[in-house]
Amino acid sequence: MAKMSFENHITKQFDEELEEIRTRLMEMGGKVEEQLQNAILAISDANSQLAEQVILADQSIDAMEVDIDEACILIIARRQPAASDLRLVMMVTKAVNDLERIGDEARKIANHAIILSEENESSVGYPEVRHIATSVTNLLAHALDAFARFDSDAAIRTIEEDQQVDLDYKTALREVATYMMEDPRSISRAINILWVLRSLERIGDHAKNLCEQIVFVVKGKDIRHC
Amino acid sequence: MKLKSEQALELDESHVTVGQSFCDDPKMTMRNVDVFYSDKQAIYDVNIDIAKNEVIAMIGPSGCGKSTFLRTLNRMNDTVEGCRVDGQICMDGQDLYSPKLDVVELRARVGMVFQKPNPFPKSIRDNVTYGPKIHGLADTRVDLDEILEKSLRKAGLWEEVKDRLDQPGTGLSGGQQQRLCIARAIAVSPEVILMDEPCSALDPIATAKIEELIKELSQNFTIAIVTHSMQQAARVSHRTAYFHLGKLIEVNPTEQVFTMPKHQLTEAYITGRFG
Amino acid sequence: MSDSKTLIKIQHSLTQRNRAEARFHWYGRIAILIGLMAVALLFIDIVGKGHGAFRATYINLDIRYDADLIGIDNLSDTEQLSAGNWQALPKTALRERFPDVSSRRDKRRLNNLLSNGAGFDLKDRLLASPRLLGKTESVWVLADDDIDTYYKSWLDGNAYEARLTGQQIQWIGELHEQGSIKLKFNSNLFNRGDSREPEQAGIRGAAVGSFLTLVMTLMLSFPIGVCAAIYLEEFAPKNRWTDFIEVNINNLAAVPSIIFGLLGLAIFINFFHVPRSVPIVGGLVLTLMTLPTIIITSRAAIKSVPPSIREAALGVGASRYQMVLHHVLPLALPGMLTGAIIGMAQALGETAPLLMIGMVAFIVDIPNGFSDPATVLPVQIFLWADSPERAFVEKTSAAIMVLLSFLIAMNTTAVWLRRRLERRW
Repeated sequence: MAKMSFENHITKQFDEELEEIRTRLMEMGGKVEEQLQNAILAISDANSQLAEQVILADQSIDAMEVDIDEACILIIARRQPAASDLRLVMMVTKAVNDLERIGDEARKIANHAIILSEENESSVGYPEVRHIATSVTNLLAHALDAFARFDSDAAIRTIEEDQQVDLDYKTALREVATYMMEDPRSISRAINILWVLRSLERIGDHAKNLCEQIVFVVKGKDIRHC
Repeated sequence: MKLKSEQALELDESHVTVGQSFCDDPKMTMRNVDVFYSDKQAIYDVNIDIAKNEVIAMIGPSGCGKSTFLRTLNRMNDTVEGCRVDGQICMDGQDLYSPKLDVVELRARVGMVFQKPNPFPKSIRDNVTYGPKIHGLADTRVDLDEILEKSLRKAGLWEEVKDRLDQPGTGLSGGQQQRLCIARAIAVSPEVILMDEPCSALDPIATAKIEELIKELSQNFTIAIVTHSMQQAARVSHRTAYFHLGKLIEVNPTEQVFTMPKHQLTEAYITGRFG
Repeated sequence: MSDSKTLIKIQHSLTQRNRAEARFHWYGRIAILIGLMAVALLFIDIVGKGHGAFRATYINLDIRYDADLIGIDNLSDTEQLSAGNWQALPKTALRERFPDVSSRRDKRRLNNLLSNGAGFDLKDRLLASPRLLGKTESVWVLADDDIDTYYKSWLDGNAYEARLTGQQIQWIGELHEQGSIKLKFNSNLFNRGDSREPEQAGIRGAAVGSFLTLVMTLMLSFPIGVCAAIYLEEFAPKNRWTDFIEVNINNLAAVPSIIFGLLGLAIFINFFHVPRSVPIVGGLVLTLMTLPTIIITSRAAIKSVPPSIREAALGVGASRYQMVLHHVLPLALPGMLTGAIIGMAQALGETAPLLMIGMVAFIVDIPNGFSDPATVLPVQIFLWADSPERAFVEKTSAAIMVLLSFLIAMNTTAVWLRRRLERRW
C-alpha cells in the first residue's frame, strides 16, 4: 500500500491548504469526540451542568463546519484539484457534514441527560446505554484515528465494528421494551433512554460513513452501498 | 464504444502502459511505435488504439512526446529532417507508413488543426475551399459554395462570417481564426481530426467555443487532441492518455484518470506534484 | 541605513550611465552626419559639374537652303545626299553674318564657331520638310564645344578662354549683343549616341544598351535564381552537398566582378563564340554576377514565410509542390522581387566585367536589338571621363546624374513593390 501523501505539490501553498483542512477536520473530530464523551458522562452522572455545556459547545462545532466547508470551496475554486487531492477535498466536505451531525446527536443526548437528571434516581436502561456508548465512542475514536493515518484497513475494520453496534442497538431496544412492559411508570424514562440509544446508533452510522470516505480517499473506490 | 478493462487499484510504477489501451472496434491502431529524431529517441514503444468517433486526449509535461506522437498519425513528421518512425500505425487496417500509401491522401483523411491559428493570408472563402479544390472534391462553384457553407456551419462560424466571406481570414479574431482552421480541416471530410493544443493561444471564451465544437464534431469525426490544459482534457475527451518522457504511461477513461489514476506518475502530473 | 546607501550608489552610477548613453547617441549622430555630408558632397559636386550639360550653346543663323551650294539636285537620291557638302550651309550663313572677315585663317576660325555636325542637323531638317529647298530660314545652329564651354563659363562670370582667340571672343560678344547666341535645352544628350565631338555626344546609345543588357540579365537571372532558391530551400535534402553548394553561393557573391568578366570572355566569347560587345553576352555575364545575390535574397524571402503556413497547407493535404506554388511563393514574392531589383541595380552600375567582353568599344549607333554592338551607361561614363576634351567633364557628370536617377528610381520601385505586395499574417 502506497502511503498517502498530500505534499510535494509544485505550489507549496497548495500543500499548506490541504494540510490545513486536514488538521482542521482532525480538530473538529477531537471536539466532537469530546462532546460525545461529555454527553455520555452527563447521562451516567446525571450531571445537568455538564449537559448544558455540551449544548452550548455545539455552536462552535457548527461554526467549524462552515469554516472548513468554505476552505474546501476555496481550494476547488483556486486549485481545481484532481485525483487524490480531489478525493480528499470531497471527503473532507462530506466528513465535516457527518461530524456536525455527530455533534447534533451529542447535543440531543445532552438534552435527554437534562430531562433524565430531573427525574427519579432509577437506573433503568443505564447498562444498555453505557454498553453502546462505549462501543460508539471507540468506533468514533477508531474512525478518527484511521483518518489521521489514512489507514484504509483500519477504516474497513471500523466499518465491521459498526455492524456489532447495530446488533447491540437492536438487543438494547428489546431490553428497554421489556422494562416498559414490566413497569409502566418507567415508560417516560424508557422513551428518553430510547432516544439516547437511537442517537448513539446514528453516531455509529456517521462514524461508519467517515470510514467509507477514508477508503474512498485512499483507494479511489466507493464502498458505500456494497 | 466498449473498452476492455481490468480492475487494479494500486498505483503502478512499472514502465508498461497501464489501463485500457485497446478497444474492440479501433479506427487507428498503433503497435510498438518508436520515433527517433536523428539519434534521439522521442517515443518509446507506444501501443494504443483509437476508437471510432472517440475523443482521445494526450496529456503530459512539455517534451514528453505527445505532439510528436500526434504528428505520426498523419505523417507530419515526414517534413522533419532525420525523423524516423518504427513500428506499425494503421488506420482501418491500412498501414500508414507503407510505401504504397500516398501521404497526400492520408492527410486528406486525417486532418490537422495546429497550436497557433494559421489561416492562409487569403479570403475566408479561399481558406475553406482550398482543400476541396486541390483534391478535386467539387466540380462546380455551386458545389464549392455548398462545402463552404457546410464546413463553416459545422465549425460554428457561418453566422459570424457569412457576410464577409471574401475578406481576409487573418482579419478574424484568434478564436474565429482557429474555428476557421477547423472549418478548413473538415472541408475535405476527413475521418480523423488531430488537434495540437488548439486552444493554447486563445482566451477562455474562445476556448469554451472550441471545446463545445469538439463535442459536436465527435459525433462525426474521430478526434485526437493534445493539450496542456488538464481541465480541457477532462472536459472534452472520452479517454485520456498520459505521456511521460516519450513513454505512454497510462490510458484510461477520462473520468477515471482525473479522479483515480492508476499510475503514480499520472497521479503526480494531474495533481501538480513533482513526478 | 543600507537602503539609502544602495540608493546613493545607484544614483551615482546612474549619472555615469546616462552620460555614457548620451555620448553613444552623439557618436551615432556624428557618424550619420559624416555619411550624409559625404553623400551631399557627392551630389553637389556632380550636379555642380553636370547641370550645364543639359543645355547647349546655339547660334542663330539665316540659312538659305541652296541646292547648288550643297551640290545636289534631287532630294530623293541618297547617294547625292550623303555626298553633299552640308557643312557649307551654316558656314555661308555665318560668313554673311560677319562679312568683313576675309583672311583664310580668320575664315577657318569663324567656321570653328560651329559644330562639325551642324550641317547634318540642317540636312535632317531639310529632309523633314523638303519644301524649304531654295528658301531662307532662321535656324538655331549648334555651336562648337569650345565655344559652348567658353560661353557658359563667360555667362557665369568666370570666362575660360584657353582654346579661343581674341577674335573669336569678340565675335561671340557681338553675337551675344545681337541676341543671336544663347543656351537651349540639349536634346542631343538624350537623343544621340556617342561621338568624338562633345557637343554631338549623347547617352541614348548607352542607355538603350544598358536597358537591353538589363532585360537580358533579368530574364535569365530571375527565373534561374528563384528556381534555385526554391529547390535549395524547400526540396533539397540537407546534406554535405547542399551545404557545399550554399557555401559556394555565398562565396560567389563576394567574388570581384572582373572575374566574372574574365569568365564570360573565356566561356561565352572564346568557347561558345557569342559575338563581342553585344547585350546578349553582357546580359549573360551580369547574370552570373547577380545570380548569387538573387539566390541569397530569394532564400531569405522563402525562409521568412512562417512555417505555420507550410504546415497548414500540408495539413489539408497539399503536395509540397502545391504548398510552394500556392502559399510560399506568393508570400515570398515581394522579397524576391526586391532582391531582384537590387541585383539589377547592381548590374546596372557594373563596369568591370563588361570591359572584359568588349562593351567598352566606341559605338556611335544606337543598338536596335540584343545582337547589336552596344555599350552601357557606366562604361560610357568611364569612356567620357577618360576623354581629353573639357566639354566631356560636364557630360560625364550629366551621365552620372542620369545613371544615379535610374538607380534611385529602381530602388524606389523596390521599396514600393515591397510595401505594395507585402501581406501581413
